[in-house]
Amino acid sequence: MAVYLIKRLAASVLTALLASIVVFLMMRSVPGDVVGQMLGQTSDPVATQALREFFGLDQPAWRQYLGWLSRVVSGDLGTSWTRGQPVGGLIGSALLVTLQLSVATLVLATAIGVPLGVVAAMNEGKLVDRAIQSFTLLGLAAPVFWVGLMLLVGISTATGWSPPLLYVSPAQSLRENLSIMALPIVSLAVLQAAAYSQFVRQSVVSAFSDDYVRTAVAKGMTRNVVFFRHVLRNVAIPLVTFMGLILVQILGGAVIIESLFSLPGLGRLMLSAIETRDYPVLQGALLIVVVLAMAVNLGVDMLYRVIDPRVQVG
Amino acid sequence: MTLPTLLNHLDRRALLALGGMAVAAALVGPALADDLYGPKATGARSGGTLNVGLLLEAPGLDPFHQGAEARIRITVLMYQGLFYETSGGKALPLLAEGYDLSPDGLTYTIRIRKGVKFHTGGAMTAKDVAYSYNYIRDSKNGSPGAGDFGLISAIEATDDHTIKMTLSSPNAAILMTMGNKYGAVVPTGYFDAPDAKTRLNQVSVGTGPFKLAEFKPNSNVTLDKNADYWEPGVPYLDRINFVSVPSGASLLVGLRNGRIDMAPLTRPQDIRQVENVRGLVVGRTPSFNQKAIDLGSELKPLDDERVRRAISLAVDKDEIMRASVGGYGVVIGTMVASMQEAWGVPIDKLPNQKVDIAAAKKLLADAGHPNGFDLTLTTIIGYDWMDAAAVTLREQLAKIGVRLAIQRVEIGVWIRNFQSKQMGFTFNDWATVPDPNLLFYRHFRSMPQGADFRNWKNEAASKLLDEGRTESDPAKRKDIYGRFQQIMAESVPTIMLFSADHVTVRAEKVRNYDQHATGWFYGLARTWIAS
Amino acid sequence: MTAVETVSPRGGSALLRRLRREPDLAVGLAITAFIAVVVLFPGLFTGYSPLAINVDKSLEGPSALHLFGTDDVGRDVFARIVYGARITLLVCAGALAAAAVIGGALGIVSGFLGGRIDMLLGRLTDVVLSFPPIILGIMVTGILGPSTTNLALALTVVYVPSFYRIARSGAISETGRTYVEAARSSGLGEGRILVNHVTRNVVPLVLMQCVVLFPLVLQIQSALGFLGLGVQPPTPDWGSILQQGKDYILFAPWMSAFPGLAILITALAFMLVSRAVQRRFDRR
Repeated sequence: MAVYLIKRLAASVLTALLASIVVFLMMRSVPGDVVGQMLGQTSDPVATQALREFFGLDQPAWRQYLGWLSRVVSGDLGTSWTRGQPVGGLIGSALLVTLQLSVATLVLATAIGVPLGVVAAMNEGKLVDRAIQSFTLLGLAAPVFWVGLMLLVGISTATGWSPPLLYVSPAQSLRENLSIMALPIVSLAVLQAAAYSQFVRQSVVSAFSDDYVRTAVAKGMTRNVVFFRHVLRNVAIPLVTFMGLILVQILGGAVIIESLFSLPGLGRLMLSAIETRDYPVLQGALLIVVVLAMAVNLGVDMLYRVIDPRVQVG
Repeated sequence: MTLPTLLNHLDRRALLALGGMAVAAALVGPALADDLYGPKATGARSGGTLNVGLLLEAPGLDPFHQGAEARIRITVLMYQGLFYETSGGKALPLLAEGYDLSPDGLTYTIRIRKGVKFHTGGAMTAKDVAYSYNYIRDSKNGSPGAGDFGLISAIEATDDHTIKMTLSSPNAAILMTMGNKYGAVVPTGYFDAPDAKTRLNQVSVGTGPFKLAEFKPNSNVTLDKNADYWEPGVPYLDRINFVSVPSGASLLVGLRNGRIDMAPLTRPQDIRQVENVRGLVVGRTPSFNQKAIDLGSELKPLDDERVRRAISLAVDKDEIMRASVGGYGVVIGTMVASMQEAWGVPIDKLPNQKVDIAAAKKLLADAGHPNGFDLTLTTIIGYDWMDAAAVTLREQLAKIGVRLAIQRVEIGVWIRNFQSKQMGFTFNDWATVPDPNLLFYRHFRSMPQGADFRNWKNEAASKLLDEGRTESDPAKRKDIYGRFQQIMAESVPTIMLFSADHVTVRAEKVRNYDQHATGWFYGLARTWIAS
Repeated sequence: MTAVETVSPRGGSALLRRLRREPDLAVGLAITAFIAVVVLFPGLFTGYSPLAINVDKSLEGPSALHLFGTDDVGRDVFARIVYGARITLLVCAGALAAAAVIGGALGIVSGFLGGRIDMLLGRLTDVVLSFPPIILGIMVTGILGPSTTNLALALTVVYVPSFYRIARSGAISETGRTYVEAARSSGLGEGRILVNHVTRNVVPLVLMQCVVLFPLVLQIQSALGFLGLGVQPPTPDWGSILQQGKDYILFAPWMSAFPGLAILITALAFMLVSRAVQRRFDRR
């Protein structure tokens, strides 16, 4: 196990390194830079040169990259070129918002999706199953940003209520925070709940067709007992993997929902960093996203091994 | 839209603006604009927090190095220059108290206001003023405004409250240049610290009515009242939250449902979405802004003046304005709407302004394109008006056989093209401070004195721009710029389409907000909230 | 579409029986067929041009004249959605096809050869997979500039890894099979084995993946269009119709509601079909 863990960690570090190079190269291939944006409709060559030097953009690319890397290794993600604030702090506060969004979505979606999936599977082929499956399909088919937009406009028109626009953290005021986060969480959770429900239904149905479960049913155990004794466990493991995958997706992928509901999250931070060519912020933020993604994958893998010792190490 | 609903929902001034440009300009001129920041309030109540929703966030808050309009409109509340540019086009003393000009027009002796304190606590002296302007005019310090100060050869403090400024040649626009767009007066030696530039995003060091309390990217810029502000009795507001709302839909919903108290609408046509909401007041004022089509001569066949004229003759400005901003603006010839009265040539006295398809076709045939040609129009992602304007222009140009392809690019890409003078055929959206020199010189004066972004290389026009810059007699100046505008309309380096109105929507309790023609938030220094 | 091809060889009556047994497949196929007709013959459904502007008739609500209302420059929204189907679905299909070919080929090579190449490609895949798809799409279109082709390219980059993984695992399991061993011992060249056995058995997996991914691609495609990075105006595309509509949401909700519904219904149809295909595949 220890050897495996070390191997996995080494591979992760390598991937992160590769990812940072890819981001660095891609970002610098996007035309235009921060200096152009600051100067706007002016093109004084002396001023341009002065600002390029200030940001180190006059250096060769490899030197810029190595400089960035060596600072990152020593724990310094640098300073934002436009916001003038430490990148670490910017990412930290954005990450808190996005983490709250994704974890709350995960919890809500699990609470809705998993029971729906189980109920559907236990009633395979019946009306309940069909109803749940229809909901599932609609949830999967609707574009998330469209659902968010329709919810925002629909609810605010019908009730006169709309979420506050100035973000407040849960520590400042939980009530205010929840009224801001409610709609974005629901918008994201519709899709997630549908995905979980479909996944769970499929897993449960296929577990019931496994030989040993069939045997158990044949021996006279009720479906419910079989479900709790045998099936649940078999379903839990792949479900955890699946959730891990989805969690990672929301972390960096809620760009549009964050913009729609004015949440200062990680997706928006990255989007604005791309727009303003704020290289340190984008490189830092994507590095964090990549590391988090790998941490979640690793965590899921480890969990897998704990739940089911049969999984081979190596 | 019926008249009664207009009466209910538009400001008095805005309503008059609807009656015609002349009325509006007269009102914006002497009646209101001679007060700093707008008229002082009567019966104002002090206190309260104002939440302003902004679609476009300030990329940074450094008044010296950050050139974005989204920065300027906020920092004018924290930083001050020597003069204040009124909507009517005058330069009023702000941190200056007054000035004397030598007979040769080269030496300004400027008296500096006493009793002004920086947000950092220290008292402002003439030394700080000299330091700040010497910093910004040195291109090596990387300010986008440096070029505007190019004619200044020296600035020095002669005593604690006087500076002497020497020019290399007379410049009628110099006081306007010392306004609030770029730079400001900051404490002597401020930029010596290595982290000085970035620190401006956390602590303000100006002299303005508000100081920076918090800048949280993608969330808010919060300003607090400057208790030591030098003007007595103002500002009235304790706090302003500029809330970043990147989605237009949520901004409108937030306004409608009272989540924000005020918002400028970047799309004037959005008036229609909020005009019938109770408790909201819509203000509409003409602007210094211009939406334009630029024709870069580096792109063939736009190097042929006949081709450019033909395009101009095919463009129906009014239709484009109706399509792109719902008609909430003013069609212009060669001068932005708010300066038309003072500096513009009447549109019916300019060539190439009326649609004339036959004449356009003939010009194209003469130029060797009897069957038209293919052309690519560049537009900027995020500038909504350009999308609707582009498809409208495409249909208009099709009538003279010009087949338009539309290429949307990101703002960063567009700026790079612009700065490298490869703008080609593109929409542009820019604003000026109210002086024709500041409006035209850099854009249209040939190299190397100007930047000549469109590669126009017009010597006659350049000569007039040089004359206009040094002439101090207002009547002669107006005549010079009139002749310049004739050349511009004849040779068509750019087609100015229209000035979109500034539209500000506010809750009824928000009082005495006067929208400045630049679009900057000066008026908030005079705004108060009714209880 | 794939479903139709895999089913039809069994003859008409078998198909009908199957459709009766699986009503969801029937619904899915019916909608898919309808969409196919719309894509092929948009002119059958509307007399309006999707491009013709009429500024005086802008932002009119749904009526008998304009079924889905008009947009900000007075174009018929229904016509734009109908004509937009072709470009929207073409971009998705093109991106998927490209991703399937590139990802599939790389995956087969990687799984079959193993060793260094496998290791390198595996890492690169990890890298691409670790980026959020929308951010990756934004950066790719940022580098290449927004256009229809580049949108398809960006989507291709995003989806190559999924195909790579599927093809690679398929190739590995095939390579271990006894018949491959047998072919090897009978002296068949590596190249022939790759083509004759491995590829032939991996292709169905890849096709299956295409069907499964289609609704997802449609969503990412429209999200990028919603951000303004997709198809260039005046060409209609569902994502960009939504993008233009979102700012008029309070005044002209029809500009947003209908293109969203078009995406929803199309995704739904493809999902119904893909589930049926999956069921069939699982049974085999």
